[in-house]
Amino acid sequence: MSGSAAPLVELAGVVRTYAEGEAEEVRALRGIDLTLPAGEFVSIGGPSGCGKTTLLNLVGLLDTPTAGEVRWNDQPVGLRTDRERSRLRLETVGFIFQRFYLLPTLTAAENVELPMRALGRPRAERRARAVELLREVGLEERARAYPHQLSGGEEQRVAIARAVANDPGLLLADEPTGELDSASARVVLDLLGRVRAGRSATLVLVTHNPEVAARASRHLALRDGRIVADRREA
Amino acid sequence: MRHSARPLRHARWQSALAIAAIASAVALPVVLVSVGEGVDAHEISTLEQSGYQIVVSAQGMHGLERAHQDAAKLLALPSVLDAEPILSISIDVINRTGNYSAAIAEGIVPSEFAATLSPTERGLFPLPLPLGDPNDTQHYQMGSYAGPTTYDVILSQPYAAAAHVTVGSTVVLSPTTNASLGIRYNVTGLFGPQESIFQPAGAFAALLLLSNLQTLTGYAVGPRTVVPDGADTIEVVVTPSAAESPSGLSSVEQEVQAALPSYTVTSVSSEAAQLRSADGILTGFYLALSSVGLAVGLLFLALVLVRRVERDRRSIGIRRAIGLPQRSVAASIVTDGATLAATGAIVGVAAGVAVVEGLATWATSTVQEAARLAIFAPTFLGELGLGVVGLSVLASAAAVRVAWRVEVLEALR
Repeated sequence: MSGSAAPLVELAGVVRTYAEGEAEEVRALRGIDLTLPAGEFVSIGGPSGCGKTTLLNLVGLLDTPTAGEVRWNDQPVGLRTDRERSRLRLETVGFIFQRFYLLPTLTAAENVELPMRALGRPRAERRARAVELLREVGLEERARAYPHQLSGGEEQRVAIARAVANDPGLLLADEPTGELDSASARVVLDLLGRVRAGRSATLVLVTHNPEVAARASRHLALRDGRIVADRREA
Repeated sequence: MRHSARPLRHARWQSALAIAAIASAVALPVVLVSVGEGVDAHEISTLEQSGYQIVVSAQGMHGLERAHQDAAKLLALPSVLDAEPILSISIDVINRTGNYSAAIAEGIVPSEFAATLSPTERGLFPLPLPLGDPNDTQHYQMGSYAGPTTYDVILSQPYAAAAHVTVGSTVVLSPTTNASLGIRYNVTGLFGPQESIFQPAGAFAALLLLSNLQTLTGYAVGPRTVVPDGADTIEVVVTPSAAESPSGLSSVEQEVQAALPSYTVTSVSSEAAQLRSADGILTGFYLALSSVGLAVGLLFLALVLVRRVERDRRSIGIRRAIGLPQRSVAASIVTDGATLAATGAIVGVAAGVAVVEGLATWATSTVQEAARLAIFAPTFLGELGLGVVGLSVLASAAAVRVAWRVEVLEALR
């Protein structure tokens, strides 16, 4: 299966305000200018509420900016329909959430199959690929287990397998080790690094754990909705 | 479908209740329509297999006033083989020990009677009928009722057994529960039980000469306040060539009507058509009645699906975040609804069949007999099931609407 190429993602003057014009208005992002070249491993750090997750959601097309523009490969994506953005997400983006977000009514293998089903891949093909991906994350034996039968670390590994099921060019991880013990966190981070490298995908990882952030090649720091530091490893 | 079936286990009670609601809504029309269709089909079949093709009747009970003469007029028509006047009336039978019992008696002309019977019915009677005068002309004597008669009666076997009467014995037949007004009759034969879903109560129990029954009950020549030669109907048997085609039968029907312009003339086939029409109306009524239950069942299904969507907001959010389109989420809700509805329909059909089978086994005689006649038409059951599944799509609409409004980021919080 040929995966989607990692897009060049650019944000220009992006502002995201919640409850705009109301008493409880929150300005989550206040003018973000950012370029994410294909294949880069970027960590986004900063204190709670600084806008890390909002930025990730905007990059991953889960949200739209109040002002400014998000461009993928020089194409603005803000004006695309909900359906088009869903399709782009399905083909190009793999999400990994802090709380794993596996569907509780599906087995591990079925969770991994889900994005492939949505793309209309043949049953046999997606089954075989789900098994292959579960093998890659070391959970081949747990293919038939339901999420409630898995440990937190195992759930996150299944979530990673699901995120890469359609071979996306862009992986977005929001505090992927936030709910894990340090041993499981290490396994998950190693795995994330491996799957990213194996696919030459862009990985944007939100964390406020410096040890986790240290694995990235580029580090963004956010404060009060602004990028206050953008550092590349030498 | 496998994926959509699994959430059913996660909301067992809701699913079970939705299935039960749909099932009970489906079971009702299955019982009503199947039994109704069965009874109607039986009645139509009985009518179509009867030995006569045309019926002459009048307004009101025993409204034919010149039964013997009118029958004779019809017998003179070239296409008429037999014309059988019938007087049907309730009388009292008093046996040797003085016990009274009510019975429906039929007054007939024996020689014409056999021809009006269906092949099945013919086997039930001792033929020729042992009622003395085969043409009922001696006693009648051109309307004077002064001629001699033998006062013979034949009784139905179940009735004779219940009244402890045997062939060769005598019974007193009386128009009221007063033996002094009665006449003693010789029991000259028995006939088999009539095929009817209402037997034995609705079938006649005593068969005697028309003139005997007329004089016994006052439907013979008398004061002008009563009919002179009363009967209920004249059953007319036409020649085979006339009976073959609808146009031939219609032509004879017109001849009969011309001979007896004061009375209503109908053919058995038109009566069967009327029965079919009535059956259609009744089926429509049953379905309309059932639609109330079905509406409640579907409303319940809609509520269960909405409740499920509200509970599964996060799952919907996850699916949407991954990139599954809204229509995929909608499809899974509709599939869920259709699965519940289909399960409910299957359970409902099974329950309806079980109820009818139960009635056919354990209910009281008339209900039992009706249940035994039930017809489980695969087409009807299939259409009912498909209709319910189809309507489940409508029931899913509210849930789809709720799912459509789920904000991905809010659902993931």
